[in-house]
Amino acid sequence: MSAKPKIRELLDESSCEHNKTKKVACNAPTPGATTGGCAFEGAQISLFPYADAAHLVHGPMTCLGSSWETRATKTSWPGRDLTQVGFTTDINLNDVVFSGEQKLTDAIDYIMEKYSPEAVFVYSTCVTALIGDDIDQVCKLAAEKHGVPMVPVHAPGFVGSKNLGSRLGGEAALRNLIGTKEPEKTTPFDINLIGEYNVTGDMWQYSHLLDELGIRILSTLSGDGRVADIRTAHRAKLNVIVCAKSLISLTRKMQEQYGIPSISLSFYGKRDTSNGLMAIAEAFGDADLIERTEKLIAREEAKLEEKLAPYKKVFAGKKAVLNTGGNKSWSITSALQDLGIEVVATAVKKATEADRAKAREYLGENGVLMMNPGVEQAKLIDERGAHLLLAGGRSLYTAIKKGIAFADVNQEKKKSYGGYAGLLNLAEDLKNALENPVFKLVSRRAPWEK
Amino acid sequence: MGEVRHKSNKPLQVNPFKLSQPMGATLAFLGIDKCMPLMHGGQGCTSFTKVFYTRHFCEPIAIQTSAITDAIAVLDGGDYSIVESVKNICKKVTPSLIGLHTTGLPETKGDDIRGVAGKVDYPLVWVNTPDYEGGLESGWALTCQALIEQLVKPTDDIDPQKLVILPHVSLQPIEVEKIKQTCEAFGFNTFALPDLSTSLDGHLGEKQAALSSGGIAVEEIQQLGDAALVLTIGDSMQKCATALQKKNPTLRHQHFPHLSGLEASDSLLALLMRETGIELPQTNIVRWRKRLQDAMLDSHFSLGQTRCLVVGEPDQLAGICQSLYEAGGRVSVAISTVDSPQLEKIRAAKVLVGDLEDAEALADDYDLIIGNFHCEALAHRLHKGLVLRGIPNWEQVGNPLKNDILYEGGAYFLFECANAANAMRHAG
Repeated sequence: MSAKPKIRELLDESSCEHNKTKKVACNAPTPGATTGGCAFEGAQISLFPYADAAHLVHGPMTCLGSSWETRATKTSWPGRDLTQVGFTTDINLNDVVFSGEQKLTDAIDYIMEKYSPEAVFVYSTCVTALIGDDIDQVCKLAAEKHGVPMVPVHAPGFVGSKNLGSRLGGEAALRNLIGTKEPEKTTPFDINLIGEYNVTGDMWQYSHLLDELGIRILSTLSGDGRVADIRTAHRAKLNVIVCAKSLISLTRKMQEQYGIPSISLSFYGKRDTSNGLMAIAEAFGDADLIERTEKLIAREEAKLEEKLAPYKKVFAGKKAVLNTGGNKSWSITSALQDLGIEVVATAVKKATEADRAKAREYLGENGVLMMNPGVEQAKLIDERGAHLLLAGGRSLYTAIKKGIAFADVNQEKKKSYGGYAGLLNLAEDLKNALENPVFKLVSRRAPWEK
Repeated sequence: MGEVRHKSNKPLQVNPFKLSQPMGATLAFLGIDKCMPLMHGGQGCTSFTKVFYTRHFCEPIAIQTSAITDAIAVLDGGDYSIVESVKNICKKVTPSLIGLHTTGLPETKGDDIRGVAGKVDYPLVWVNTPDYEGGLESGWALTCQALIEQLVKPTDDIDPQKLVILPHVSLQPIEVEKIKQTCEAFGFNTFALPDLSTSLDGHLGEKQAALSSGGIAVEEIQQLGDAALVLTIGDSMQKCATALQKKNPTLRHQHFPHLSGLEASDSLLALLMRETGIELPQTNIVRWRKRLQDAMLDSHFSLGQTRCLVVGEPDQLAGICQSLYEAGGRVSVAISTVDSPQLEKIRAAKVLVGDLEDAEALADDYDLIIGNFHCEALAHRLHKGLVLRGIPNWEQVGNPLKNDILYEGGAYFLFECANAANAMRHAG
């Protein structure tokens, strides 16, 4: 097996539904008309949450300088949180001309001496991939020297999109970590959480419930993750993919290599959280577990409903338009409906066929699936009498013009909306948005305007 | 001036606050009205940059990418992706200018962007800004230089009322506005290049623009050659003045390393008085000088017992350290992103090029940290006081309106630092 992953093979993902029609390229960007991150960013998203490992970016300054400390992925690792420590070789012209391999080797030695991480992930980037620095060889020698895993991550930005980069991140874990260590013990209900990054502590909104049910999180990729745990991931009984299409290729390969089945779910909103817990229990097919899960769900839902009651009064009769992309087009819809808000339209321009079908299911026949939200949303706010627009920052003007409340769904989250408890955070934020006079006042005419 | 270390001796950066050269170029193009910055590189550079500035300025940021892929990286000399980019941008919007700037990827493969620019039939300014050289400050300055060289029309005429300001990258939009206003108070018709004071100052526009909304107009840049006087603020900008003088050898140049503190503000006012023969500036300027004098005295007690760490771009460090020095603040360590001749002039006991790991190693030397968002974790861990300055600041809103320069800003800045130092001491 060659050390480098086959990009084409990763793109041609059989488990990926939207690839039936678009065979080759989810990754052919149009020059001058492209948005979204690169493969390096995707790899960073999927692997940086390992806080016990150093993440060394082998490249020039843009790659890490613009991106470290941007994602609030929480960890309970008792040592220093290395996710939030930026490491980069910051290569210069000399390195470009004469190779950056020696600098990379020295950088790894430096990190091992000063920070003693459990592993070092080494990320190639456009420039170091182009000049041909052999990060596989550097990692191999460094691993022999230091006796901890050194993981080369081949996701230079130019190979494609963020989504592909996440796959490459998963690939790096599969090739270098998974299956390299045996767990101290196993339980009948061991799972891996794949694609849960514990942003703002989302995972902790439901992990205690899994714990209570006797479902053990053997490892994660990579929220609150540990390198030692992901190395034992091959012994899990079930892979649980949390809102992450990009990692389907990883779980498929784990099924092929280790016989681990997988399910895909979301913990966003009340219904999805309950469905998610139930799906895990049912995947194990254990009658006792299913019964205990049903009871736990009933208890948690009752507890939540009681706390939601005052909010539901505020939200009664309120209508929302949602303009976002991907699985958010239905997962946020679901959460809003859980709060008693009617979602009259959701954008599906940037959603897959499966996401669109799901959005339709949640919205019902009367809901509008917007294919051109930039144009449609203003009209729909008027037609349907919406009170709230949830969208990216660019749509703020639309809300102000219509004098309705606005919530930025793309803003970096500071608190978790995940699980049952997270729904209360969402409720509080939306209540505050609806009660805020700013959206009406800010568009007041100046005394000198007619 | 103290000990200066011009080069880091580590094989890596740990907790860097250095930013890349192309990001400086992007920001400069955002100071041009209706401009579309086009970053020539992989899509990630652009995406990161867009998100980075959006969070710092709390404004949508116009930028596009040539989206180089691996196949193109090997086969194309830049022609295809740049020509296609311009075509695709113009399908949706009509920019007054396309600001083409490179990243490390096309520079490594040796794209001839000057040659490609010649083939593009659209107003375009190009600049080479690989991210394996320089930093934010040089990227901004190189872009300003390119704008002058490629747009300004040569002339022999001089308009005695016209003045050009070339501000360094770390001046916030409101600070550029304050410099302009000061010059305008002396009757000068004043232009800033680049001018963030009317584009990224954080204003509610009529509608959501897909291009930069505000800044100096391309026509105005073309006509800058007949200015009587060009003022450079920051050592990084000196070459830009030379470029402008090549367009008109009779144009006169005055340089200010920074405009922070009483002495530097006085020197600007002295120049403007000399140039115009006006003997007494406007009342509010005179009043603000008195307030700054008072602020220096009011804050001297707190600052006089405070040891500071200042981190930032070279030109920014020069200004901040001078401001603190004038009220007795002791800058024990100043850490710069990159090397610069400016480092020799910085008022600090120790000046080095480095990262925040270096700052951590010197933790016993300071009580108050002045620097960007990445300093927050450091201040928190080491229990130091913190004044957030520089890019990025994702923790606070209102960044474009932070004014630290001239008499007025200097007063506010000293108060903020003195209060932060006191709060830190109270917290123990």
